[in-house]
Amino acid sequence: MNKQLVHIKGTKAGLVLRLDDQCAYAELVEELERKVSEGGIDGKVDVQLHLGNRYLLSAQQKELIEIVQGPGNMHVSKVHSDVITIEESNEKVLTEQSETYIGIIRSGQIIKTDGDIVVIGDVNPNGKIEAGGSIFVLGNLRGIAHAGVNGNKEAIIVASHFEPTHVLIDDQIETMSNEKPFVKENAEQIFAYINRDGIISYERVQEVRKIRPLLSTIKGGS
Amino acid sequence: MGVAIVITSGKGGVGKTTTTANLGTALALQGKKVCLVDTDIGLRNLDLVLGLDNRIIYDLVDVVEGRCKIHQALVKDKRVDEKLFLLPAAQTTDKNAVTPEQMKSLIDELKREYDYVLIDCPAGIEQGYKNAVAGADRAIVVTTPEISAVRDADRIIGLLEQEAIEPPKLIINRIRKDLMKNGDSLDINEITTHLSIDLLGIVIDSEDVISSSNKGEPIVMDPNSKASLGYRNIARRILGESVPLMSIEDSSKGMFKKLISIFSK
Repeated sequence: MNKQLVHIKGTKAGLVLRLDDQCAYAELVEELERKVSEGGIDGKVDVQLHLGNRYLLSAQQKELIEIVQGPGNMHVSKVHSDVITIEESNEKVLTEQSETYIGIIRSGQIIKTDGDIVVIGDVNPNGKIEAGGSIFVLGNLRGIAHAGVNGNKEAIIVASHFEPTHVLIDDQIETMSNEKPFVKENAEQIFAYINRDGIISYERVQEVRKIRPLLSTIKGGS
Repeated sequence: MGVAIVITSGKGGVGKTTTTANLGTALALQGKKVCLVDTDIGLRNLDLVLGLDNRIIYDLVDVVEGRCKIHQALVKDKRVDEKLFLLPAAQTTDKNAVTPEQMKSLIDELKREYDYVLIDCPAGIEQGYKNAVAGADRAIVVTTPEISAVRDADRIIGLLEQEAIEPPKLIINRIRKDLMKNGDSLDINEITTHLSIDLLGIVIDSEDVISSSNKGEPIVMDPNSKASLGYRNIARRILGESVPLMSIEDSSKGMFKKLISIFSK
């Protein structure tokens, strides 16, 4: 008897299709097409594809999704695979790691990172930091800070002395020439973030835990 | 083997040339053999400040292009016997006439004969700056207590920190004590914390500096000027002595001080 290549399991969130990761891709496609055409599902249902240890090219992934969505009553909400390419992994490492810069970012200098950056030193006027993630300055921030360069709206900018000329998060920009009253009076230890209305606002660093609790990378604790 | 020190600022008009002339003379007066190199090709004026302009025969570009030997181009300052020499810049061409590599080999050659080679850097951060920095072992950044000069100094320090030379040192030039006391200009502390490099010395603004430059006599020759003392102190610090920072207050008591001292008795 042939091994079953497609397992269907029902969960609260919809169906999970667990696809065998040992067989040939063509066999899998065939089996999936057969299983899907059997029908027997009433109404709309969300489906998750679990690929196991199989790596799919994006074209293949698209093909599978089209097969599943073919009859029209199933919608693929997620494709889950246990493997990623080295390239994807490196990218992930870069955007999730935190880099440390020790020194002073002076006028005309630009420091760029893909992930978070911690600056131990000052950012002087006309100096610029660009980070894919958040920016933490243990010193005076007097230059330009651009966090979340690649569209990360959750990114924040923290400085022990917060006196930048320009604050940018994702595509939001704020020039501080007409300094915000809050920033002017509380230049010590504040941070910038994008609030619910999509504009940049400022709070004391102690409020980060309420406003961006998910930035914490240490889970649990006692 | 001597040391080559580049004197730079980024911004123009803060006193690079005056500082070069005065530090060179002060070091020579201390008995060191000093060569001043003007790298401001096309806009030379170090020779004027030293009063040596009418004795120039060959210049830096002539040396680099092999039209003469180095010692033929050097102009001797007769006031400081056999100690102070100037290699003048060319006036007829521009800064692209020389490459950083040529400058480096030129400075290396001068270092063999002189204790100190002071390189006067042109303003800006282009070719002229690159030439001036190429052969240097150390750097001195000159600034004034003005926000624009400090901003440019910050930029130039950033560039110098990327070169393979010792961390640059700072001179704050043209300090106006009345403005500084009233808080109308940046104060010394503000500048040093902003730039975060070591302070080599301060020079108080004085009208004598301008008049002596016009006469072609560096101010350090005049022992009674406060600006002169500033330059002498800096020269001693370059030689490795530890000299306390001079106060910007007047040593002779002013009217107000006298009144206070009468009342405090």
